[in-house]
Amino acid sequence: MIIDSEPKSSGPAYELQGVTFRYATRFHDTSVSVLKDLTCSIDSGKILGILGPNGSGKSTLLKLLARVLRPRDGTIELFGNPLSLLSQADVARQVALVPQETLQIFPFTIAEMVLMGRFPHHRGWGGWHWEDADDWQIARLAMEDLDVAHLGSRLVTDVSGGERQRAVIARALTQQPQVLLLDEPTAFLDLHHQLDIARILRRLNRERGLTVILVSHDLNLAGQYCDRLMLLHHGQIVEVGSPGEVIRPDLLESVYGCQVLVDRHPQSGLPRVSLPV
Amino acid sequence: MAKVPALIISPSSKEPDKVVQLPPARPMPGSLLPSLTIRRWCLWVSVSFLLAVGALLTCLGFGTESVASSRIWSILVGAILGTESIRVETDPTAVILLQVRLPRVLLAFFVGGSLAMVGVALQALLRNPLADPFIIGISSGAALGAAIALLFGVGLSVWSVSALPVCAFAGALLALLIIYRISSGGHGFSIYTLLLAGVVLNAIFSAFIMFLTSVADPNRAFGMYAWLMGSLTGPDFSTLGVLALYLGIGLTVLATQAQSLNLLTLGEETARSLGVEVERVKKLVFVAAALLTGAVVSFSGIIGFVGLIVPHAVRLVLSADHRLLLPVAGFAGGMFLMLADTVARTVLSPGEFPVGVVTALVGGPVFLYLLTTRNMRAGI
Repeated sequence: MIIDSEPKSSGPAYELQGVTFRYATRFHDTSVSVLKDLTCSIDSGKILGILGPNGSGKSTLLKLLARVLRPRDGTIELFGNPLSLLSQADVARQVALVPQETLQIFPFTIAEMVLMGRFPHHRGWGGWHWEDADDWQIARLAMEDLDVAHLGSRLVTDVSGGERQRAVIARALTQQPQVLLLDEPTAFLDLHHQLDIARILRRLNRERGLTVILVSHDLNLAGQYCDRLMLLHHGQIVEVGSPGEVIRPDLLESVYGCQVLVDRHPQSGLPRVSLPV
Repeated sequence: MAKVPALIISPSSKEPDKVVQLPPARPMPGSLLPSLTIRRWCLWVSVSFLLAVGALLTCLGFGTESVASSRIWSILVGAILGTESIRVETDPTAVILLQVRLPRVLLAFFVGGSLAMVGVALQALLRNPLADPFIIGISSGAALGAAIALLFGVGLSVWSVSALPVCAFAGALLALLIIYRISSGGHGFSIYTLLLAGVVLNAIFSAFIMFLTSVADPNRAFGMYAWLMGSLTGPDFSTLGVLALYLGIGLTVLATQAQSLNLLTLGEETARSLGVEVERVKKLVFVAAALLTGAVVSFSGIIGFVGLIVPHAVRLVLSADHRLLLPVAGFAGGMFLMLADTVARTVLSPGEFPVGVVTALVGGPVFLYLLTTRNMRAGI
């Protein structure tokens, strides 16, 4: 079959049909599924926030979308192409993943690490290639977007957690994806950089039509910056909709198991979550 | 977003706090992204190659009888061009140089280079800067395979391929698979799990080898002990040719995976999300590393720590990029073992001790130092 790698401007970015996943341990399958029979469609050109308590399957869903993991059952289609038929590099040219934590053991510089995002765009022998001026330019623009250009020659082991996280997002943009997946992108960041990341994501979404799918525990940030929210609980979708439809006290209480207060943000009028005293 | 003034780190210092602020002129792409270019690669690979050749010529001069460098040149050039063939046959210095020292120094170069490159590959694959074929038990596995071949059929060969390196390869692969399964169990890798597993694996394989040597006849057992300590004695050019063939295959496979190894250091899931076919790369690197370790161990026994010190030193001085790290570590490892072997055969001249003694005396303290430094603790 011919695989169409051109993005479709309209239509969904992802279509999931009956997706089920469970982690296999070394000796047996765990009987508990992390994701159960998930069917949904994810619009392209939108910012989708995936919410849910710990262990609800948020990160697993993100890894399935990046084809880091494969579903046990069901199909995932990326811009109309079954994910299982695409090569890893095909996926990486369209989808970039910013993982929750990054291993940094060896003394690569920030620039070297960001340039690794060009890997799927080169078809060398076993991936062997030299970065050219275009690669450098793309990486430099991404680093400037994320405010890490001045750190280019610093070692990844020597920068702060927030700087490293921004460099990882710059690496993801260097992949020039149509879909950006982020797992807790603001977890290690201070307020200033949280806001920066959220604004950058929105700008990339509005200006370049980048589809953004992010997992977050920060209900307020997600409510402010996401077009749509998906609430997961025990590996199943509880609700999908606009922030106003998903951030409801009754829904959140049933999923998180604690009382929450929801009022309006004074500037945007969007729902805002607080914990009771 | 606010426009950020260009900050450029002065090229003369690696200190992160010595950041000089320059006026926001057009930033040079080169200074902003000091990444690997073909020019830089060629420069460093040729520099390390020339240094290795220099070390080779130096090591040839040392021995029971030292030979001046001008003599080495004239004999080598004469032998290569064939112009001095008659004198080479009769001249005892030429015989010592060409038939005793040259093969041995070349063996040291091949073995050291291969061990260093295996170290680089294992460190990337296991995400552990302390991985070394000796420390994590891969060399012991190869030695057990080789010992079985030695004791149960020295001349055994299939289609004129000696069984010795093949058995050593099988042993190394077995050890590698065990260590990988152990260290990848649970959530992620732990540096200490890997090291402890290596200690125990070494103990188990050593126990098997000791059992085999105690049931073997004493003459053979003595030879095996000497070989296990790591020795580079008595190769001839045909042996070297066979070794070079094995190493050539293994090193070519590793070299093609250099860029994938870069990404694998970020973790398997991240590497996959960046487009690396992780399972295929892992299989290739496993087989290549086992092939190299098996070949090296079957020709020269267990020589430790080369795969630990050399990659670390090259990363410190040059780069962590495997496209540059692999070849430069190869030349540097060859250089290191040539020099170590020269020490081993000249200090007690005319006697000598196993080269493994020298590498352990240098490498052991380096390992302990690395174990206590900041980066190790941060890397877990």
